[in-house]
Amino acid sequence: MEYLTHLAVLVGIYSILALSLNLVLGYAGIISVTHAAFFGLGAYTSAILTTVYDLNFFLAALCGVLVAAIISLFVGTVLSKFRGDFVALGSVGFNVIVWSVFLNVQELTRGPLGIPGIGRPNLEFGIWNYEFSSNVSFLVLSVIFVALVYFLCQFIEKSSFGRALKAIREDEEALQVFGYRTLHYKLAVFVIGAGLASIAGALFASYITFIDPSTFTINESIFLLSVVILGGLASNRGALIGALALVLLPEFLRFVGFPSDIAAQMRQVVYGVMLIVLMLYRPQGLVGEYKL
Amino acid sequence: MDIVPQLIANSLIAGSIYAILTLGFNLTYSTAKFIDIGFGVETAIGGYSVFYLCKTLGLPLYFGIFLGLFCSGLVSFLAYRFIYKPLRARKASGTVLLIASLGVLTALQALVAILFTSQFQTLSGLIQANRVFELLGGTFTAVQLSIFCTVLILSVLLAFLLKGTLFGKAITAISDDEEVAKIVGINTERVMGEVFFISGMIGGLAGILIGFDTGIEPIMGLSWLLAAVVAAIVGGIGNLYGGLVGAYLLAFAENFGIWKISGEWKMAIAFGLLIIFLVWRPRGLFPR
Amino acid sequence: MTSTILQTKHLFKHFDGVKAVDHLSVSFEKGKITSIIGPNGSGKSTLINLLTGLVPLDAGEVIIAHSLHFTRVKSHEVAGFGLTRTFQDVRLFEQLSVLDNILVVLTERGVFASLFETHGTLHLAQAEEVLKKMGLWEKRHSLAINLSYGQRKLLEIARVLAMTRSARTGRAADIIFFDEPFAGLFPEMRKVVVSVMKELRAEGRTQILVEHNMELIRELSDEVVVLDAGELLAQGVPNEVLAKREVIEAYLGE
Repeated sequence: MEYLTHLAVLVGIYSILALSLNLVLGYAGIISVTHAAFFGLGAYTSAILTTVYDLNFFLAALCGVLVAAIISLFVGTVLSKFRGDFVALGSVGFNVIVWSVFLNVQELTRGPLGIPGIGRPNLEFGIWNYEFSSNVSFLVLSVIFVALVYFLCQFIEKSSFGRALKAIREDEEALQVFGYRTLHYKLAVFVIGAGLASIAGALFASYITFIDPSTFTINESIFLLSVVILGGLASNRGALIGALALVLLPEFLRFVGFPSDIAAQMRQVVYGVMLIVLMLYRPQGLVGEYKL
Repeated sequence: MDIVPQLIANSLIAGSIYAILTLGFNLTYSTAKFIDIGFGVETAIGGYSVFYLCKTLGLPLYFGIFLGLFCSGLVSFLAYRFIYKPLRARKASGTVLLIASLGVLTALQALVAILFTSQFQTLSGLIQANRVFELLGGTFTAVQLSIFCTVLILSVLLAFLLKGTLFGKAITAISDDEEVAKIVGINTERVMGEVFFISGMIGGLAGILIGFDTGIEPIMGLSWLLAAVVAAIVGGIGNLYGGLVGAYLLAFAENFGIWKISGEWKMAIAFGLLIIFLVWRPRGLFPR
Repeated sequence: MTSTILQTKHLFKHFDGVKAVDHLSVSFEKGKITSIIGPNGSGKSTLINLLTGLVPLDAGEVIIAHSLHFTRVKSHEVAGFGLTRTFQDVRLFEQLSVLDNILVVLTERGVFASLFETHGTLHLAQAEEVLKKMGLWEKRHSLAINLSYGQRKLLEIARVLAMTRSARTGRAADIIFFDEPFAGLFPEMRKVVVSVMKELRAEGRTQILVEHNMELIRELSDEVVVLDAGELLAQGVPNEVLAKREVIEAYLGE
């Protein structure tokens, strides 16, 4: 039971990541391979603020959103100057740079040692104090976050803003002629996506209670890319399905009986083959609305 | 002790490996016109083939290297034949090809890890003694000198191949305009398959040399590939000889960049350079 | 009585040393249909691209309604001044539904306003009217990419008809560029487009048409502008201009 709860929390955290990346990738068509950087920024900001400055989790998470938003605004502005597939390469670059900061600015992040002893979230109203220390209570908290993020994404998808994003993905230049400042849209969605990813980061840090740079590498960004592409681009439901499938896959491989080091590699083989097969036969993913 | 000569020496060695990889990357990019991330895994394929053939099976070194090059070429060809070719046939976008090639890299490097474990391996035991030379205040090993020579030989060979042979003229024609090349009767698919084979061999060669110089691990592909892409963009993507300049420039920037700060920043420096170029000079130093 | 609504002064653009538009000074009259003709590569499409900001201009000036002077045209601003266009190579939002292709030019353009759009029903009614007129209402849920060639052309024209300068004012565009709207259309579809253009003229909207078919040009145009190698060769009423010797030579010399 404890094991299932643990998996459910992870699925929840990855759902938030997938939903937020889908806004950027599926709706606006920005091939961003830097999502793990914002995931990490959220995790590190809230981890540092809660452990060193004893800030409440929710306030710390909010600060994480702010940090991710400011940095993503800058990153997005730079990326908007690139054409085509170079956006993907430039975004890889940002992921590497942010990861290097996690690894090397040891005064702040403790570098490769990571930050241990991160507390679980707690709510305080006067004398009433509740800590989400059990995994079940944490699961409830993450489900609430996933629901909020999901409804936000649905709201965006149904709005005129969402329609404009999709039009940007199809033909940005033509859309400009119809009166849209497309740069503002792309920056807005990039910042929203980064902010939501940072919330997932705060949840992750507080759930695992330990973070180190190895979680926030390009490989993680590539993994998130696979999650969204598998589930289906431009579909919020697809993002949830993708997160569920790919978080559970390694567990399934372990269940089948691969030894754990082989299982870890099998997982990568499956991701790789999956990307190839999807590109060849189903570029819109399982339930997606947009073919790359 | 003055550190500058050694920094120059290190830059030249790293730059030479980048140069080899950039040549291979640019060769496919200029013909197939997409960013082939899968190219990176050929380094591991080449390196581990030699590791298996020579260290485990005990085959003679030159035979092993020959077979290793063949293996990496073959893998690259097969990826083209069964993945990129059908995608290109239905006019898939560069993004689709890029993601598919990312899949190739991810799957194959994990496969290598399953076969050979993800441990770091070195090929240096296969040669008797790696002599050390002193040159103008910097030290080089024999392997490193041969890496440097490989770049020279490879550049000359490629130049001959591209300028002096019919095959090379076909490649040039395809990179100028694939449709026109088809119309004048070039079998573009066949040529492209051969290009992928050659670039795979070049990737494998780089992997083998890395194995002799430092060492190989299954996941080496991505970071080497990214360095090659940065070098290619700096030099002007698709421009073979611009890529050489880009490769050495990148190596010098990295090695002098980490002079005063930790070596862990190396990749960040490379990508800082990439972003600077993409913003201010997106077509590189020598645009095609 | 005529009045100029759109004017260029010494407009200049070159691509890799080739002068696409060469110090072109031309003016377009309000409420009329002006056809731009000229051999291939004479700068017709480049002119439209310059006027809608798709291609930056090298030198010269664009003047809208006598009062607004531009030496740089920003594509996201032209809609606000009442300019809109179709594209020679039909540029739709391919993986959006037909309906969404229309709605996107009706709704709020600002980031925040578009998130909290409040005129959904009104826009839907407007889109329905336009799509019914062009015979595409039945297809409203299909993706644009799945339409036939003719339907795609019609959808582009529908989009131009529907476009508002901004969602707030709801004012329609009053300077419309049609870049080869008839190319490849069946005769009955052609008739639809002709009648649409005549209707727009009756409403007093200015139309600038790039077209090769002389019959259609004679039928529709109030004025003809002839370009050759990016320069203005002639301008005037169709019968006079099309009878000029240099115009005929420019065409025959093609």
